[in-house]
Amino acid sequence: MSRSLVSTSLKRKRPETGPPGLADAERAILESIKGKKDLGIWARDIKQETKLTDHVVNKSLKSLLAKKLIKEVVNIQNKGKKHYMAVEFEPSKEISGGEWYVDGNLDKELINILKQLCLRYLRVQKVATLEGVHNELKKNRVVTFEISSQQVGEILNSMVLDDDIIEVKSTGLGDYHSIPVGTICYRFASGAGAGKGPRLGAFASIPCGACPRISLCTPDGVISPSTCVYYTKWLNIDF
Amino acid sequence: MVSPHGVQLATHLISSFYGDLCSKVCECLLRRGTLTLAQIIRFTELSRENVINCLRVLIHQNCVQAFAIQQEGAFGEAPRVITQYMALFDNMIHKMRAPKFMQIVSEELGKDVGSSDVDVVRESFNRLLIARFIERCPAPEPFLAPPADGETPAKKRAAKSAKIGEERQTTEQRALAAAAPMESMRFLMEMDGLSEEKSEECTNSVTVGEKRKQDVLKSDEDVLNADKKKEVLWRVNFEELVRRLRHKACISYVKTRINDEAAIVLSAMLELSRHSETRQKAENSAYLSINAIYDEVIKKEGGLGMDFERIRVSLEQLGCQCLETGIDESYSIDIKGIIETSQTEEMESVVLRRYGREAYRIFRLLSKAGRFLETDKISDTTFVEKKDTTKILYKLWKDDYLHMEKVMTSGAKQSLFLLWRINKEPLREHVLDEMYHAALNLRLRIAHEQDKGKEVLQLPREKLVGELEKRYKLLGKVRVILESSLMNLDEAIMLFHDF
Repeated sequence: MSRSLVSTSLKRKRPETGPPGLADAERAILESIKGKKDLGIWARDIKQETKLTDHVVNKSLKSLLAKKLIKEVVNIQNKGKKHYMAVEFEPSKEISGGEWYVDGNLDKELINILKQLCLRYLRVQKVATLEGVHNELKKNRVVTFEISSQQVGEILNSMVLDDDIIEVKSTGLGDYHSIPVGTICYRFASGAGAGKGPRLGAFASIPCGACPRISLCTPDGVISPSTCVYYTKWLNIDF
Repeated sequence: MVSPHGVQLATHLISSFYGDLCSKVCECLLRRGTLTLAQIIRFTELSRENVINCLRVLIHQNCVQAFAIQQEGAFGEAPRVITQYMALFDNMIHKMRAPKFMQIVSEELGKDVGSSDVDVVRESFNRLLIARFIERCPAPEPFLAPPADGETPAKKRAAKSAKIGEERQTTEQRALAAAAPMESMRFLMEMDGLSEEKSEECTNSVTVGEKRKQDVLKSDEDVLNADKKKEVLWRVNFEELVRRLRHKACISYVKTRINDEAAIVLSAMLELSRHSETRQKAENSAYLSINAIYDEVIKKEGGLGMDFERIRVSLEQLGCQCLETGIDESYSIDIKGIIETSQTEEMESVVLRRYGREAYRIFRLLSKAGRFLETDKISDTTFVEKKDTTKILYKLWKDDYLHMEKVMTSGAKQSLFLLWRINKEPLREHVLDEMYHAALNLRLRIAHEQDKGKEVLQLPREKLVGELEKRYKLLGKVRVILESSLMNLDEAIMLFHDF
């Protein structure tokens, strides 16, 4: 045991005692990392590119990190893989996932705040174009970064998918008088129905509509309508 | 082909209305398709007499249609005419809707059943006929002439095998078409032929076709005597009743989705174009002039205060097609569009309840896109974490809500892309099947609850005190909830199947 410890420490020592060799390895690795610019590179790919042993690569990476020449970044495509990038670069959109991501996680808070702001604006305005919403958000300065029109579009689009607002074409009449005919705009419908969120359908309002096990349910089976717990719960709630 | 749970529901309905033997025959016909008497006897393993009796009941109830075809004789024998029986699935499911149909009739014509006076009954009959709520019965056993030379072997094959083929479909459709009375005759009343018995049939849908079944099966079970002299028989015209419900559904959808005024305009337009609707599922209304629409709108409740400008705004909101020729300005409404949007909403609502808000967003994205989208693209557009997106997509795919395709790129780096889309038609079928399943479940649960509370329900009224009274009321409430849910669900089923 003690002997093996000694031998490993010896092994470790050897490269360190010869700084030019290690510097070579470090330099090669640093170059390969820098070569990838803002895309970063996966540790395994470094090994392949530089054809160095695992041990040397790991060691060098650690040392480069300590010297603050490179940094670890999260790749949104594959969070499990460790990626490295030279310090002078910022992660590209492909790696970070764009402005909506913080450390590889979706910034839900930011998105929700933006959604609420858009909704509030549309409620007052009743109808607005993408440009209008964008200007409003810029004026409010809610975000630390320069929000692009495309990003506002993404937010509005997801609200349309949530059925919180609806996308319409301006008719040039009534609420639309200030918007050129045919322009796509977003509407917060004050009337009943549209834009008030999803309606509960007839099928969805009974237990079977929400049942994840419906395909296993048979009249005389283990899961059956007469013994169904969802039904029992449902029929008791309403009293 | 009827979906598996559709068959189960139909079988259950027939069994609860007409007993187990009938339901066995029904199930056999629904599962195996059109059969001859001998085949039914063989497959159901019932006695000949039982099968004949069941067929009588089913034909009488408009659940089965008989027709004759000519079959080539084997080994040089002369061709034979054989009678085939086909199940009418829609009419079986309509049994469940009787209260709804009755409501439409009484809303429009008022309630005046129960009178035994011949004149009163005749009067009601006339009104039913004018409203097209009743029609002449189809021919009991139309003969389908053998098709042109080349098709004969194909048809023979089709008749033999229980499994489908285009030819088989057409045989059944041809049979229905041949059985239907001519359009000019359909709502035509012969004054002299009207007897009290017929009037009775029209006021009580259950007795419709009483005579017909006798005509069909009395003399001969297999080779039926079609040209025997008989009285004119009448039955409920489901087509008209379904059309009314279809219009009602459109109006109520527009009312909740747009506003009351648009609903009034729509109902005026549907009213106007009703008689020109020739097909069961009209896609567009006829072009109606703005003046005609206005005249109809002001007749409606709440429509009196509306002027041309407001009507035009509503027409615009409804997405009506406008046709301007000279001074005339006319509009057509896309009925099919309204139906399809409400179908989509019904499906989305299920996705929301079953799979949650993020799945709902993804589903709507795919449904709007109408084409393949890649996982990452979906994740980006809907603001759902990549990992969760994959999970949700897999779940939806596993439950047959999505279609997935894998794309492998072969290059320096191999990578796998998953593409997703919604295939509307199969999905609609799938959701419809689930709804049939749910309707069956509701009916079974109603039966189960009734059975559970049997002793309380059978007690005389005066004994229902204290604890028992409480239970009695509770059972009543449960029943109301279940039955009203079933009625609502049925509306959704009609939306997917009949509208």
